[in-house]
Amino acid sequence: MKKKSALDPALKAVLQEFSRTYRAKRRAVLEGYDFEALRTRLAALKDAALDRNAELLERFAANARAHGSRVLRARDGAEANEAILGICRRHGIERLAKAKSMVSEETGLNDFLAARGVRARETDLGEWIVQLAAERPTHMVMPAIHLTRGDVAAIFSRSLGRSVPGDIPALVRIARGEMRQEIFASQAGLTGANALIAESGAILVVTNEGNGRLVTTVPPVHIVLASIEKVVPSVAEALDILRLLPRNATGQNITSYVSLIAGPHRAAQYIVLLDNHRSEMAADPVFRPALRCVKCSACLNVCPVYQLLGGEEYSHVYMGGIGTLFTAWVHGLDKSKALAKYCLRCHRCESYCAAKIPIADLITALAERLNDETGKVAWKRLAFDGVMSRPAFLRTGFAATRGARKVIARKDGFSRRLPAWMARYDRFRALPAPAAATFARRFEKEFRTAGEPPRPAGAKGAVTIYGGCLVEHFYPEIGLAAARVLSRLGYAVQAGPGLCCGFPPSNSGHRKAAGRAFGALLRAFEGDGPIVTLCPTCATMLGRRGPEIDGSDAAKALAARIVPFGRFIAERELAAVAAGRRPGTPAGPTVTYHDSCHHKNLLAAEGESRRVIAAANGAPVVEMDEPDACCGFAGTFCVENPEISAGLLADKLAAIAKTEAAVVAMDCPGCLLQIRGGCRRAGLGVRAAHTAELLDDFLA
Amino acid sequence: MIDRFIAKATLAGADVRRAAGLPAAILLIKAEIEKSGFRSLIISPDLTERAPFAEAFAGLPTALPDGALWADAGIVAADFGVAETGSVAHFDRSDGEKHPWTIPDVCFCVLEASKIVPDLEGIAPEMAAHLGRTDIPSPQVSLVTGPSRTADVENQLTIGVHGPSRLVIVLAS
Repeated sequence: MKKKSALDPALKAVLQEFSRTYRAKRRAVLEGYDFEALRTRLAALKDAALDRNAELLERFAANARAHGSRVLRARDGAEANEAILGICRRHGIERLAKAKSMVSEETGLNDFLAARGVRARETDLGEWIVQLAAERPTHMVMPAIHLTRGDVAAIFSRSLGRSVPGDIPALVRIARGEMRQEIFASQAGLTGANALIAESGAILVVTNEGNGRLVTTVPPVHIVLASIEKVVPSVAEALDILRLLPRNATGQNITSYVSLIAGPHRAAQYIVLLDNHRSEMAADPVFRPALRCVKCSACLNVCPVYQLLGGEEYSHVYMGGIGTLFTAWVHGLDKSKALAKYCLRCHRCESYCAAKIPIADLITALAERLNDETGKVAWKRLAFDGVMSRPAFLRTGFAATRGARKVIARKDGFSRRLPAWMARYDRFRALPAPAAATFARRFEKEFRTAGEPPRPAGAKGAVTIYGGCLVEHFYPEIGLAAARVLSRLGYAVQAGPGLCCGFPPSNSGHRKAAGRAFGALLRAFEGDGPIVTLCPTCATMLGRRGPEIDGSDAAKALAARIVPFGRFIAERELAAVAAGRRPGTPAGPTVTYHDSCHHKNLLAAEGESRRVIAAANGAPVVEMDEPDACCGFAGTFCVENPEISAGLLADKLAAIAKTEAAVVAMDCPGCLLQIRGGCRRAGLGVRAAHTAELLDDFLA
Repeated sequence: MIDRFIAKATLAGADVRRAAGLPAAILLIKAEIEKSGFRSLIISPDLTERAPFAEAFAGLPTALPDGALWADAGIVAADFGVAETGSVAHFDRSDGEKHPWTIPDVCFCVLEASKIVPDLEGIAPEMAAHLGRTDIPSPQVSLVTGPSRTADVENQLTIGVHGPSRLVIVLAS
């Protein structure tokens, strides 16, 4: 079967539809449950079990042996495969029927056994399909999600030697018959385990198809291949996992079949416990939380990049962001390098994760480790270590860009098109021209000409505006709009330092450069009032990441001052904003709202911005489809992956167009660059504006 | 709680019937088997000596004959029902008890309404105790919720891939 290439439109349609129906089913099935409480509990129980991993494994093994099971330990994939081959030799097993086991994909078991005369056949329908097609699973729960019914019919026709119709129930009936024969003809069945229960030596297996029940009870020998982090103390913890796993994985209350199995059903049961560097991962304080993963795949189901690329491209064996982390440990750092660049750091997955794994932050930590151990990308070393972390160099760099305005800027505020060899970076979105003057300069001119504050100082206290690099050098009008709004509301406004917050180097794993840039900015801030940010990414750097890197009390004190613009207005001035509209004024233009990733997923400020815009505009915002889908900017991501960035933007523009809104509002200058430039290239007559700009207009 | 069980089991695709007591439940199953013309039947080993199933289904095999892969219907009885998920729970005590639940095209499961518990935690102690038994070779706990299903092709829900395409729960009150 031809590999489904990146950005295949049919694959994208299937994955996006799957994501949409998944989220609807999940929402319905979690109604009445406190997801946050459930996952906090799950994360805690997994952490506690990891603390006692060695002891629990001992107990599990002892209790499994008391039931007559044989327990084997494997340090790596090769040992696990050899152990299973040994079992096959001992029992004369030539045919092995397998239920779904990602761990067996990790060890490459099927190919290993095939080369030694043992035929391992998958019995999960999706796994069976990809095995017949000589492919690998592209999703942990839906292994054949990248294949259409036509693809499956072609695969069946080829392997069965007869023509098979592309009708799904008929395909399932054929598979049922074929796999039933296979299971009855096999001398052993192999399953994974969703949990290992120490107190009884039992395993937990969840399936929907019932193949798990057949392969564990029809063939005489049952082999379990499970990784060591699956062990939990008792049934109570297994039930906590069960309460969340199917709900979060497929939007089901529970899967059709759940089996708790202690001891050999028939002749023998072997349990192979695989480490494969998980003990090292558990001992690593940074990466340890990834081992909480219960493989529900919710992170894949909501990952914007996974939906565009699919799991053939975005995997080594394990897929997506969490797969990148596992790859680094179980298959090697080098294998994870190609995957790490695909993470947007949008943090969307984290709000869905059943085990509260900070996936995006761990990808950043992985980027740091990759830089340390496999070397840095040359242009990033120059940009981040060389320029961005040195304020003087950065100022000079931006000044040079301003100097080139005459050559590159158009009258409409966009830059001229890049030369053909750089077309992939700007044909899908027009890039902005550098501003003629920085925000700091223009602020000085507009607000300080008389040398006096614009309002009596202290009426409502001093407020510092920090816009970040894009506002400072490309969109000073956003900073000025925010300054006017805050000034009109009675604040003594001042402009913060025009320095980089350090996020771009931090995000690429250049921790030292990020620390230097953040430190310089930290020292440049004056006063002690609120710092109103106009970029959610800068806000998270100043409020969270920067202080983590810096570690000083001054950094913590700075973090406490950070307030996103929308939140500042919503919490203090919502009534004033509503009152600022002249009575009887008709509602303003139809406004739709794009959720910038960090604004929603890290600052949780999406509701506040909507309230502020609605109050100022006199009408609620019109929601677009998937307002929280990433627009594809994502900082250096759009430089490293322009085709994916373009794909994400195309979907965003389509969602905006569908609302027929006149304005699309947002709180992030990076999203603004992407969406405004995209509207321009697509000829979409929609105004893309920062919330601060809208407020400035509406309250004029 | 019974209503919740019925709602959740139905949502999962189970066909829930009600009967006034175990004899009525058995009559209902027999009538269904007759109506559908089912010929190959298997019964769970734990019912062959349990009244009133033993007499009603006397002579039915507990396993497939050698060489056979299929059966029309299986007859089983659940130990518990779980209202929160609409699941039926069975604590396997002997070899082969899973097969009448899994191998046939249709599974008839008798559940006494008094055995319905609100949630899985309600039977956690019984589960733990059963799995800890060493007097039987392989203590197992099965939770079955609706028929066998897959969505592996184009995410389209399709019923009856490995296990039964119909799960008929006869709720005996």
